[in-house]
Amino acid sequence: MDFEVTYTDEQQRFRGEVRAWLAANVPAGITRKPVDDADSLARYRELRAFGRKLGERGWLYPRAPKPYGGGGLDVDHTIILEEEADRLGLTLPPYYDSGGRLGGATILVWGTEEQKQAFLPPIYRGEVRTWQLLTEPGAGSDLAGVTTAAIRDGDEYVITGQKIFVGSDHGTDRIWMIACTQPGGKRHENLSWFMIDANLPGITVQPMEILGTGGEGGSDPVQKNTVFFDQVRVPAFTLVGGENNGWKAASTHLELEHGAGGRIGRNRVWDRLLAYCQQTKRDGVRLVEQQDTRDVLADIYIKTQVMRLFGLRNFWLTYAKQPRSYEGPQLSYYRKMTGLWMTGAILEAVGPAALTTDPTWGSPEAFLEQQQRNGIIAVHPGGTADIQRVSMARRIGIGRGAREAAGTVH
Amino acid sequence: MDLALTESQELLRSAARAFVEREAPGHVIVGLQREDSRLPAALWRKAAELGWLGVLVPAEYGGSESALTDVAVLFEELGRGPLPGPFFSSGVLGTLTVLEAASQAQRRAILPAVASGETVLSVAITEPNASWGASGITLRAPRADGHYRLDGAKVFVSDATEATHLIAAVRTGTQAEDISLLLVDARAPGVRARRLPGLLAGQCEVTFDGVAVETAGLLGERENRGWAALERALLRAWPVLCSYMVGGCQAVFELSVAHSRERVQFGVPIGRFQRVQDHIIRLVNHLDAARWTTAEALWKLDAGHPAADAVHMAKAVSSEAYLEACNAAHEVHAGQGSLVEYGLVPHTRMSRTLFSYLGDPRWHKRRMADVLEW
Repeated sequence: MDFEVTYTDEQQRFRGEVRAWLAANVPAGITRKPVDDADSLARYRELRAFGRKLGERGWLYPRAPKPYGGGGLDVDHTIILEEEADRLGLTLPPYYDSGGRLGGATILVWGTEEQKQAFLPPIYRGEVRTWQLLTEPGAGSDLAGVTTAAIRDGDEYVITGQKIFVGSDHGTDRIWMIACTQPGGKRHENLSWFMIDANLPGITVQPMEILGTGGEGGSDPVQKNTVFFDQVRVPAFTLVGGENNGWKAASTHLELEHGAGGRIGRNRVWDRLLAYCQQTKRDGVRLVEQQDTRDVLADIYIKTQVMRLFGLRNFWLTYAKQPRSYEGPQLSYYRKMTGLWMTGAILEAVGPAALTTDPTWGSPEAFLEQQQRNGIIAVHPGGTADIQRVSMARRIGIGRGAREAAGTVH
Repeated sequence: MDLALTESQELLRSAARAFVEREAPGHVIVGLQREDSRLPAALWRKAAELGWLGVLVPAEYGGSESALTDVAVLFEELGRGPLPGPFFSSGVLGTLTVLEAASQAQRRAILPAVASGETVLSVAITEPNASWGASGITLRAPRADGHYRLDGAKVFVSDATEATHLIAAVRTGTQAEDISLLLVDARAPGVRARRLPGLLAGQCEVTFDGVAVETAGLLGERENRGWAALERALLRAWPVLCSYMVGGCQAVFELSVAHSRERVQFGVPIGRFQRVQDHIIRLVNHLDAARWTTAEALWKLDAGHPAADAVHMAKAVSSEAYLEACNAAHEVHAGQGSLVEYGLVPHTRMSRTLFSYLGDPRWHKRRMADVLEW
């Protein structure tokens, strides 16, 4: 076994090139916490502009195939890019985008050549941002029950319905969605995916007020929206993966969303929490020197390390093309439950300072208050923690007859 | 980065699994739970012939001097049994302690016989106060007439009844870490080893009643160097013990999945019930946490990276994991799991024993925090 990525001279040269390029091109203050809505929008525009620069070099989606505008890079070069971006507090892509990782990956598997040519390059070059639309008021965990209808009419489909818990701040260019193409049809055989323009007549976006805070920047923003579709006409060409074949295509999307891709990178909440406890005193003694707090910190640290290792394992499984079973939903489940558990553990370690955004009595940039909110709401997106367990159980083959193969992905 | 086993590790794993299944099938493991049981001599001899008692012994002394990652592959398979016996006590902790503490001449005298299985080592650290730090060692060894004299007791010593020689940690000075390590013939007059009754696996009491140990039995040439040597040995031994626990978790996981398919209640296999599924998911999450923290600690040691924080974390995580895995398995199995002949109970017993053996989770977490210099 080797947990370390070792680099050749060529790769080290690449790291130097990336570092120098980032130093010259990352706009100053891009990782700032916006002071108001106008600043948030300004920052988003800076991130998008920076995304386009990355996209020109194929570094926005470094693993994506080169013929469609991706970087065509191997795992090791991708890791170098992600590490260098991480050093500067950035992710790839540097803003919320469901286009490349989820939609793009599905299109690569299920799209026609014409669709790949049409949809993928703008995504990989950072020219468009995409939101994914899955959940509806009546279809959350039961995704197969979506009722937003897409009815064929000549060379078009006409979409009517409502999607919730969508996207982030500042709108989107494209929509990647699942809809019902045969209302009343057989369950699992009446769904299809669409990649459509977000600015068509009949589409209305309305913000939802939810518990999370944060916003644009990382991969998990928490501003969410309701999207209404009122007789929205889209070209038939936008249907990806075959009419009524959407449930099968969904498996590609959901597998990725459930953490199968894995990831590498530091846990920023942990880094800041430790620093906070090293600087903050209670009864004249630094928190980190108080045995009860120290014990809680050790438990938090270990869970973040296990999470890191699960992510590293999944990353390796994906890129070494190893067989997978329950590992994707396991990482997702562990991440969600650790985040939720940490809200209580941090409250125990730090006290009510974790709950206020007040600059005097709270934590720097209210990072702890943000964790309290986000740790709670992160339990549901991308499939609830309970759904992850259902998915794990199925793949492990718990309770299945011996004739059914255990651990198969389907 | 490559998280797969190497080809030779895969071969070792198959050989070890076949060996345990052939030489120590379920009924043998169950039989070894009895307090008066002993590991069959033939099994020990066959393990020696396969070279498994000398995996950490240098080649010049008849061992294979394997990397810890390789040793861990073997111990994961032993842990699946769980095959008890002094494989770890002699072949890992005992061997590493000799390597870290003993003089060249002592190594030459001791290790070939360890690799061949004639000498069986057991390291006696803990005393009745059951602390794992240097301060827990109070057994004094006054020296007179070319001998150390031992009067006192060690408890929770693994496999002492199977050992030909004990390595006893004794206090030989006034400073906190003035600890020395003495090699004591287990058959010397005044030495008595007794297996402790109860929900323990292979843990013993050792009493020393006026035992005279020749000064040549001091490992290394100088007194008061034992604690540092023991710490270095433990650093490498802990993750191998973790691998044994990972093997235990894996076996308990497989038992539980199989039971969830076979046991029918209310007309369906019980694994169809989400409450039952939840037990197994809790189990597999603990299993994988133990597996990957352990694997990373082993890799860091083999690669020569600073590893102490990772090692303490792995022991804390694996000890908790094995205990929790067994708890989850008992919830899945209900009455079936409590039947001694079924095969879950040996794991339950072992998980409890290893939970605190060589440091419980809380102790290791605190050490980890210290190493990380929080």
